[in-house]
Amino acid sequence: MQKSKALLIGFCLLPVLLLRAQDCHLALRGHIFESETGEPLAFASVSIPEAEKGAVADENGYFFIAGLCDNRKYTVEISHVECDHFSQALQIRENTEMDFRLAHNTVLKEVVVREKALAPQTAQAESTVGREEMEATRGINLGETLKRLPGVTTLNTGSTIAKPVIQGLHSNRIAIVSNGVALEGQQWGSEHAPEIDPFTADKIVVVKGAAGVRYGAGAMAGAVVLTPAPLRKEEGRDGWLALGGFSNGLGGVFSGSTDWHLPGKSLAIRLQGTVKRSGNLRAPDYYLGNTGASELNFSAMAGWESGRWTHEAGASTFNQRIGILRASHVGNLTDLQLAIDSPVPLNNTDAFDYGIERPYQHILHHTFKYKAEYQLTEKWKLTGQYAFQFNNRREYDIVRYTGTASDKPQLSFRLWTNTLDMALEHRPWAHWQGGLGVQGVQQTNFVGTGGLIPDYKTTGLSVWAMERWRRFPNPWEFEFGARYDYRRTAATTDGSLQNIDTLVHFGNFSATAGAIYHLSKNLSVTLNTGLAWRPPHVNELFARGVHHGAGTYEQGRPDLIPEKAWNTNLTLQWQKDRTEVTLTVYRNQIRDFIYLDPQRNFVLTVRGAFPAYYYQQTDAVLGGFDGSVTLPLSGGLYLESRVSLLRGYRHAADSVTEGETRRDWLPLMPVDRFQYGLKWTNGSGSKSSGDTYLRLMATTAMRQSRIPEEGLLKEAPAAFTTLSLDAGYSLYLNKMPLELGLSIQNLANIRYREYLNFFRYFADEPGINIGLRAKLLFGG
Amino acid sequence: MTYITSAMRFLLPTAVLAFLLFTGCKDNNTDTEQENITSIEVDLAGFNINQKFYWKDLDGPGGNPPVIDTIVLPASTLNITGRLKVYDESKNPVDDITEEIEAENTAHLFVYSASGADLNIGPYDTDDNGDPFNLVTVWRAGQPSTGTLNIRLYHEPTDKMNSTNPGGEVDFDVTFPVRIE
Repeated sequence: MQKSKALLIGFCLLPVLLLRAQDCHLALRGHIFESETGEPLAFASVSIPEAEKGAVADENGYFFIAGLCDNRKYTVEISHVECDHFSQALQIRENTEMDFRLAHNTVLKEVVVREKALAPQTAQAESTVGREEMEATRGINLGETLKRLPGVTTLNTGSTIAKPVIQGLHSNRIAIVSNGVALEGQQWGSEHAPEIDPFTADKIVVVKGAAGVRYGAGAMAGAVVLTPAPLRKEEGRDGWLALGGFSNGLGGVFSGSTDWHLPGKSLAIRLQGTVKRSGNLRAPDYYLGNTGASELNFSAMAGWESGRWTHEAGASTFNQRIGILRASHVGNLTDLQLAIDSPVPLNNTDAFDYGIERPYQHILHHTFKYKAEYQLTEKWKLTGQYAFQFNNRREYDIVRYTGTASDKPQLSFRLWTNTLDMALEHRPWAHWQGGLGVQGVQQTNFVGTGGLIPDYKTTGLSVWAMERWRRFPNPWEFEFGARYDYRRTAATTDGSLQNIDTLVHFGNFSATAGAIYHLSKNLSVTLNTGLAWRPPHVNELFARGVHHGAGTYEQGRPDLIPEKAWNTNLTLQWQKDRTEVTLTVYRNQIRDFIYLDPQRNFVLTVRGAFPAYYYQQTDAVLGGFDGSVTLPLSGGLYLESRVSLLRGYRHAADSVTEGETRRDWLPLMPVDRFQYGLKWTNGSGSKSSGDTYLRLMATTAMRQSRIPEEGLLKEAPAAFTTLSLDAGYSLYLNKMPLELGLSIQNLANIRYREYLNFFRYFADEPGINIGLRAKLLFGG
Repeated sequence: MTYITSAMRFLLPTAVLAFLLFTGCKDNNTDTEQENITSIEVDLAGFNINQKFYWKDLDGPGGNPPVIDTIVLPASTLNITGRLKVYDESKNPVDDITEEIEAENTAHLFVYSASGADLNIGPYDTDDNGDPFNLVTVWRAGQPSTGTLNIRLYHEPTDKMNSTNPGGEVDFDVTFPVRIE
């Protein structure tokens, strides 16, 4: 009865308000819970005095209020006979869904737990890293944080270098976007980890599938999007200090951040820094010699407003030194075979040490960004962003002469990137929301001698447009986008950019189309299909040299053409109370997929003969399933499970029957992975501090049996199951929330090797690692 | 507790500023240093013979294949002194790496293995610890025959007495065709 009344008000008001052509067409859908038990509160009365609107929640605690105006301040007041009166200030910019937790006649009035836009940002499959998991892993590295999401894994070079892999693809096929700037480093290298300090991010989302329209040609297979916390809106000061320690490698991490909104001004600033140090890691049976790491990162942000202008500036610096497992350094193929056949690492220093010796990497990455927004009208907004990045990667190899050693690196890359973005965006207009924009990129890369790739200069221009349709409460939502990118690369093989000897240019369209159908308020189906592309990278075109870690001679092919991907994914999402189920099936068909093809000849070098691998292209198909399930059991206990399955194959040229092709598995595809476990939480979550929780998870990785026949130096490692434990507890220290946490990885201290770790040839993965962390939030 | 927050107010920004200032003026010397062994010279001297043979790959791995001389020796010759020289000819002037290897003789070991040809190579020198080094060797050519000679340089070998697998890393691993006539 009340439910239908509430809906009736909503339905009747919506068209009336729309006819008045004002910005008062937004809706708020709420779900009211009793905070201790988590039970829905039936028949609570809700009112918004400023809008003179009200509703009564239905028997499941849901209510719906439509006709709210954009960007206006409201107060939501909820009353219920069994609970304290509740009020919450609110300002909405789009149709919004919120949870309200009411305390049962207690003094505490902590409230909003989960807030999300009813219309998600994208009709594409994506996963967000949970807050608890982010806190538990971000002292380690970005890869470790992302690894817990379904469909995401890492490509490792030892335990210190981890690159994210989204649905089987990585490096130049995915984009990493931090604070609105796409990271530009030497992504092509499998041993080049992203230059990101996870402590700068407040939210990490992985977009799966063709994300080229939104993030450029690099995001052919997806994107990792890191967003910092918004700057302070109110005057005052706050911040946090985080301290972490790890038993394996005796590592420590310290990070702090402070926000300040100047009194009487619109200026808000943030300063943040992270320092990290760790020594040799230990596998269950031995230390992994020279696997220490150190990091020192800083970032600063500022935001201010004046009239219709909104400005934001940011700068960050990332400085990292990573030791490379000594045992992984081999001179030639005979050495490599000896290392592979040995059950324990050869040339290993089996002792604990903080020192970082050769071989090691030293990476420096600076970013500067300035963004300005100009509100043209109530609906239209113009945005401009300029970003500058400088990436300096130096790799120090073991040099033959130790006595007369110099401190120079054996490999050095310096990359300068300038990007300029202009976008014209609009708020909902006849239910369409979106924008269009242009982007210009300019890049210069200097490579020291012996760098496998030549020096180059790249310029690029892109235009894009994207629109999304949503008419609440119509069950359908649509999204369309298109983009054109042009890239021109001038490369030189003689080391001087004055003497350009090769010029390549590529241009192509990307497109995306998506639809969401809300079967009910709990169940939705999303279908997204997109076209994306990627120009061949300089290393694929011009590489020439021995890749020592892999024991192969690699050669590029200057006549490669761009890869084109057609990616489709279908997602089913069920969310009711605390039950959450997300299932995604996907298929990614890639034309002219670029890969390293093993040749039948050997290349003779001064260190002996190496098997030759030439860059080739052919058609490939990747298909898979990602699933994630959270089921509440009784008494604050939850069952959690995640599954990632993937099959990838290519059409390989058949060497037996000329001209024919046959299907062959793609190398280095993630293994099928299952995560399952139990989580206990006391459920009294509040805005400022996390829940008290305990989670025991098991991860089972299968053996990769689907691998191409050629080019296999060592059998894929056996299946394994590792256990991990996370726990968190919050308390107040002089009214300042203090979050304490414990995380244990490889709890059973088992010996195992990962298929997607290049160092599986040489050593086991690290053993048990007990981590303790504390985070103090101050100010308010 | 307020003193913690007020201390933070000053300490953190100061630390950040200090860091940015100091790292801003780091040295700009990012030149790389790469040592490439491009050429191996086998210098043979004895009765009826005084000749140099070369293994050269001047453009490094890939590109043009290495140019390799055939070592030709008169049959039934004893006491040929073999001396190796190692160069980086990609540098200008040419870098003679032999001197460095000799200076660090305890960290290096040359290993020779002939197959097919009737060739015997024995030690002449030792390193500073009296262990095998084999930069200079004594050669003996036997009956007319053809085959190959493999020469390897090990860096930081762990067992210098084990000539088949001395450990460490291979700095070069080259094979010459051999003809004894």
